Amino acid sequence: MKKHGSTARLRIDAAACDGIGVCAHLASEVLELDRWGFPIITARDLSRGELSAATRAVRACPRKALWIETAEVPAVAERAPGVTTPS
Amino acid sequence: MTSDELMMDQRRTPAPRSVAPDAARVPPALLLQGVQIDRVGEADPWEPAAVEHLEHLVARIGPRPEGSVDLITVIERAGLTGHGGAHVPAAAKWRKTLRGGGPLTVVANGAESEPLSAKDATLMRQRPHLVLDGLALAAEALGADRAVVWLHGDDHGTAATLQGAIAERHAARLHGPTLELVMGPSHYLSGESSAITRALHGGPTLPTARRPEDPGSRSPRTLVHNVETLARLALVARGYAPSSTMLLTVLTPVSRMVFEVPRGTPVVDVLEGTGWLRNGPPQAVLLGGYGGQWAAWRDLRSATFDEPALRAAGLSIGAGVVAPIAHGACGLAETAAITAYLASMSARQCGPCLFGLPALADGMRALAAGDASRRERAQLLEDLRLVEGRGACHHPDGATRLIASALETFEHDVVEHVAGRPCPGSGRISLPVPGGHR
Repeated sequence: MKKHGSTARLRIDAAACDGIGVCAHLASEVLELDRWGFPIITARDLSRGELSAATRAVRACPRKALWIETAEVPAVAERAPGVTTPS
Repeated sequence: MTSDELMMDQRRTPAPRSVAPDAARVPPALLLQGVQIDRVGEADPWEPAAVEHLEHLVARIGPRPEGSVDLITVIERAGLTGHGGAHVPAAAKWRKTLRGGGPLTVVANGAESEPLSAKDATLMRQRPHLVLDGLALAAEALGADRAVVWLHGDDHGTAATLQGAIAERHAARLHGPTLELVMGPSHYLSGESSAITRALHGGPTLPTARRPEDPGSRSPRTLVHNVETLARLALVARGYAPSSTMLLTVLTPVSRMVFEVPRGTPVVDVLEGTGWLRNGPPQAVLLGGYGGQWAAWRDLRSATFDEPALRAAGLSIGAGVVAPIAHGACGLAETAAITAYLASMSARQCGPCLFGLPALADGMRALAAGDASRRERAQLLEDLRLVEGRGACHHPDGATRLIASALETFEHDVVEHVAGRPCPGSGRISLPVPGGHR
């Protein structure tokens, strides 16, 4: 299966998260902590480098509150008109 | 639908006659008879309203047809949407349910958490069999293993009516799925669909985040429909047009009025019929209840109760709550009281809700009192951005939407409050916010 046809996003289960903050130490390039110490995802479609940071955070979370969601990206021709492909 | 079609539709709907506020102008209702009830508490009508027994329902509109999966195209064509507040197309929920493979529970959600709303309780008390028919139809159509009516634990009047109706169906040896009545906790979030799902699978009645699932999974499925949606389903399945009317709960200075209006009824007609225009128009109207939005009177003067039209104007009727405030009231103080209430109703699971809602309530309290510093005002705006969309459920989003609409609707008051001149009415709350009177 080809990998380049999908996008990956870091997702969070806010009910499971206890604001321990390990994720922010391991993956500051994809998330930051709010003023109460709870993570906000800052990166949308993860690049290769961001994906490995996000994976570190997912593995390290003591509450298992993070996961990576992948979605297939439709071929360019199927996209809505006016939407340009990010390089 | 043209007005002729609407008239015809109502002529062939021998439902209870409407005694809505202005009976001369309001055409006969499809779902319920208008009632007046207290501003807070259970939906006990001031004038007793008749309960429709099984034989009455059958005599009026015929027996319930059998539920099959073909119903999905019927409800899709009829444009049946959810009446719990979010207006999600029912067919979309059915399709999603059919994609799974695990044991299925269908729920008639009668836990009306919005404190001002009383249309669901009123409907269940007047026409329990219509709601139960809808539940039975959905359960049959989707091949459910369990069919449940879910109520707030303290809604005794509604529970008694439903128990009586279930017993009647049993005595009549009605075929169809077994219908269970389950009393949940009485707290605000016990009407939230993921909380109901969790509770019915043996967990605590608390919202959960939607986690990804394997497509071929055999994990349990739960479909939650609002009771009004199911009552309309029971009519659609019998060939009636479902969406020609809507149920409203209008707050007045002395009561709440629950009644049915044709879709597209002008807002001004409803306010006139409920006595709101006697001493001039209201200052603003809270649409959708405590998790809803404020709208200035000038923006509603020519508006109609039609969800697509309201959405186009950035508004929503939510679950049908209309709560006007008079000119003497302070919209910022009302909003501060509601925000404090919403903060107290948090499930306390998600950080942005647990910490964010009290922070928003503090900010609104300072603004309402007329002593919000620059730093506090900046913090309020920052926290609105910070809290939005970050809970497992949409409870915090209700609060941010309410506050954002208040800051816009009462823009002029914000300026005056900040200048140290709070509204003269800011010491008194006119809405019956639980805990709002200290």
